[in-house]
Amino acid sequence: MSTDLNTKLIMRNAYRITSDRRHTCLRVRVPGGHLEARHLSLIQHIADTYGNGTVHITTRQGFEIPGIPYEMIPEVNRALAPLLEALEVAIGVPLDDTTQGYPAAGTRNVAACIGNRVCPFANNDTTALAQRIEATIFPNHYHVKVAVTGCPNDCIKAHLQDFGIIGQAAVEIDAARCIGCEACVTNCRKRVTGALELQNMIAVRDAQRCIGCGECVLKCPTGAWSRNPHKFFRMVILGRTGKKNPRLAATFLEWAAEPVILAVLRNVYKFIDEHIDRSLPKEHLGYIVDRIGYPAFRDALLDGVALNPQARVAERLDFHGYWHTADGIMQW
Amino acid sequence: MTNPYQPQPAAILDIRPETAIDTTFRLAWDTPPSPGQFYEVSLPRLGEAPFSISGIGDGYLDMTIRKVGRVTEGIFALQPGDHVYLRGPYGHGFPLEQLAGKRLVIAAGGTGLAPVKPVIQYALAHPERFNGMEILLGFRSPEDILFREEIAAWQQQAPVHITVDRAAPGWPGKVGVITELLPGLDLAPLDQFQAVVVGPPLMMKFTVRALTERGLCDDQIWVSYERRMSCGLGKCGHCKINEKYVCVDGPVFNFTEARWLID
Amino acid sequence: MHDTPSETRRVRLSCEEADILLDNLAAHYRLFAPVRLPGRGRFSDQDAIRYAEVHTVHEIEHARRSHFSPKEILFPVSQTLFYLMDDALQEPQDDPRDMLVFLRACDIHGIARLDDIFLNNGPEPEPYYARRRARIKLALLECRHSLDEHCFCVAMGTNRTDAYAMAVRCDEGQLLVEVRDDDLRPALPASAAPADFTPEFPTADPQPVVVPDADRLQSAIRDHGFFAHPMWADYAKRCIACGRCNTHCMTCSCFTAYDIAYTEQPNAGERRRVWASCHIDRFTDMAGGHAFRDENGSRMRFKTMHKIHDFYQRFGRHMCVGCGRCDASCPEYISFATCISAISRVLEER
Repeated sequence: MSTDLNTKLIMRNAYRITSDRRHTCLRVRVPGGHLEARHLSLIQHIADTYGNGTVHITTRQGFEIPGIPYEMIPEVNRALAPLLEALEVAIGVPLDDTTQGYPAAGTRNVAACIGNRVCPFANNDTTALAQRIEATIFPNHYHVKVAVTGCPNDCIKAHLQDFGIIGQAAVEIDAARCIGCEACVTNCRKRVTGALELQNMIAVRDAQRCIGCGECVLKCPTGAWSRNPHKFFRMVILGRTGKKNPRLAATFLEWAAEPVILAVLRNVYKFIDEHIDRSLPKEHLGYIVDRIGYPAFRDALLDGVALNPQARVAERLDFHGYWHTADGIMQW
Repeated sequence: MTNPYQPQPAAILDIRPETAIDTTFRLAWDTPPSPGQFYEVSLPRLGEAPFSISGIGDGYLDMTIRKVGRVTEGIFALQPGDHVYLRGPYGHGFPLEQLAGKRLVIAAGGTGLAPVKPVIQYALAHPERFNGMEILLGFRSPEDILFREEIAAWQQQAPVHITVDRAAPGWPGKVGVITELLPGLDLAPLDQFQAVVVGPPLMMKFTVRALTERGLCDDQIWVSYERRMSCGLGKCGHCKINEKYVCVDGPVFNFTEARWLID
Repeated sequence: MHDTPSETRRVRLSCEEADILLDNLAAHYRLFAPVRLPGRGRFSDQDAIRYAEVHTVHEIEHARRSHFSPKEILFPVSQTLFYLMDDALQEPQDDPRDMLVFLRACDIHGIARLDDIFLNNGPEPEPYYARRRARIKLALLECRHSLDEHCFCVAMGTNRTDAYAMAVRCDEGQLLVEVRDDDLRPALPASAAPADFTPEFPTADPQPVVVPDADRLQSAIRDHGFFAHPMWADYAKRCIACGRCNTHCMTCSCFTAYDIAYTEQPNAGERRRVWASCHIDRFTDMAGGHAFRDENGSRMRFKTMHKIHDFYQRFGRHMCVGCGRCDASCPEYISFATCISAISRVLEER
């Protein structure tokens, strides 16, 4: 007898419909991309016991466990419970029954660069923030991609997400400690945006150019530059890959505090719910906004959000994506 | 406590261009330094820089200055009657007592002639205190020759050998590095000589080497070091070479000491 | 530094009594000690530990080494030498109050090294340093053991000191205090319980560091071309000339002076001096552009020689006091302690 499935329910349970008619593939989320190594043994156990003994590491920092027969799904879900407890419930994700597997898969794993637990450039603990974001927006069926990166180097590719969160350092100079060595000035000019210059032998920051990377703090030999301990974030939005119009995300917020970031992300779902084209099997957020326009989207995102005084909101979005134009530029 | 960083104003008496980029400023100053010492010269809000003395006279000092930075550009904009600010003199100059009674070989390269000029003038003014003098001067080109009038006067009293690194056709003098002037010198009797060598680092290195090859002992050779002296007081560290501070232990060193100043 | 104490007092203070002591001291002295500045460290979410004015005992960071040394109290990172109004130079007024600085044995030795340069080198004392130096008393923060793997005070002979006005040990929330200075004794709270406390000192470095004999080193430099040894070429590949070793060092005392004119009022300005560093570009630049020690290995060599040879030849003791701040701050993981041990090995092998 052939397999009879409700593919929609299968997919919402975080299993794939695959190229192999008998087998599915489980998508394990790792919010923030960092987990205690002991959990790997459960992943191995599921792969060895129910799957084909292999694991695929995804770009979103999850694990896909392929080769699972569809009929094993309930048993796999029960085996998965400790992982849901440790990686989701423990960080505040509201799950009623951890023996039923993932309750949604549309909102993807919140990925993060390695952050300041390891990386000297990072301006925050990206994993911890990604986990708080996960607890804010998951479970949810709408397709939303979020990633967190610790500095504008953007190692997690926040610019290819619907929402990319980039750690910003509000750097401050103690002029009495500046020796005018220009280590920060030279570095900023060569590697960043040229936001620093010496004025009367003391480094001065141009707030319009500074992107908050924090490298001046790293370069300063006297500790004249330091980060304001309050954390700030740039939010870039509506980046995407895909077939129709790939593009890098554009800046929506700068110098936003974490509560602003979380509140904005909470507001996304209402906007999607109101505007999504339900005639399509699925419409990505970026294309919804392409239809509806940025001002309405901006207003929806900021609805009821108390912006911190430092936060700045983009007046417009400038995307530099491209449209596939084979007729125009390709030669046969 | 008096503040040794507090400079004193000195009026500019006269301004005399030497080359296209070097100019001698005559400053009203009552207390004469020893030849070879230096002053910190400042202009308020432009900064301070060390300068050696190219002339010492009754009630005045000469400083021959090249326009190369903020302070010197400020000085070049001044007129007679304007003031610069001096503190000093600093350091040890040339040991005129130890040179007394000796035959002098003076080798100066480029602006290195400035601090040596008062030694030459002193020796020429007191011929009875010395046993003759040979003057070897090297410049980059004929256009870079400093103190033309003075040199012409010296030539009346002592042999002056001039060479330039390069010259346009028509230059009647010698072309070559200063060490090429040495083989022509009669250095007998050797123990009667004292040599003073001042100039760019490489010039000093090769001139001293040539003199020692000709048989001069280290203790017969005197050199003057140029460094970026900032405080002049042995504190700021800019002029330190090994265990010596050029501003207080120098700038003039006997080569028995200077041979160990390795950068 | 202080008279032979007529009556040394040794007491144990509760937290409250310790704060009374600090209150009483603060009536006469500005108190400086290492403090933690949350989130102000080089890396995000890390603290800076620096010298700052304190008012209570719990502000004092007892356990860890300060990133920057206490030298900045005597020799600020940036200091105005003169205000320049038109052609007049006016000295700024310095805070006239006396100071009491809590610092470790190595740093107390470090102050003696700063004295050598600022007070004793050259023709006369440096007035800006001398003024502050005359106003300072030293309170020893006891180290019973090395603070961490970077310490090498025992090798440098700077682990012990008696050049302090008072000494403190933090002992399970209480403060053990030895007061040797007559001026400070009245600050002790009347309730203070006598205690048997004299400070202890580290007796071994975490890793043995071998300091080369300065005279043998001089002979190696002069007679055996030690400056051309390949070890310096190796440092040329590693050192990035960032100058952190200098700025964090307790005894690096070089500075540069410059003038500025206020943008809003160009006829007024300042002559300032700021810390300078033999590792950072432009330290030796002369008018016209010539510079010495262009290459980073020669800067490492120059600094190393100053710390364990040149200064010794002038003052009869090493400049380096083994506080370990250079090693703790080097982003390229160059260990000065390893460097001087390597020099000793080279001298042995000769």
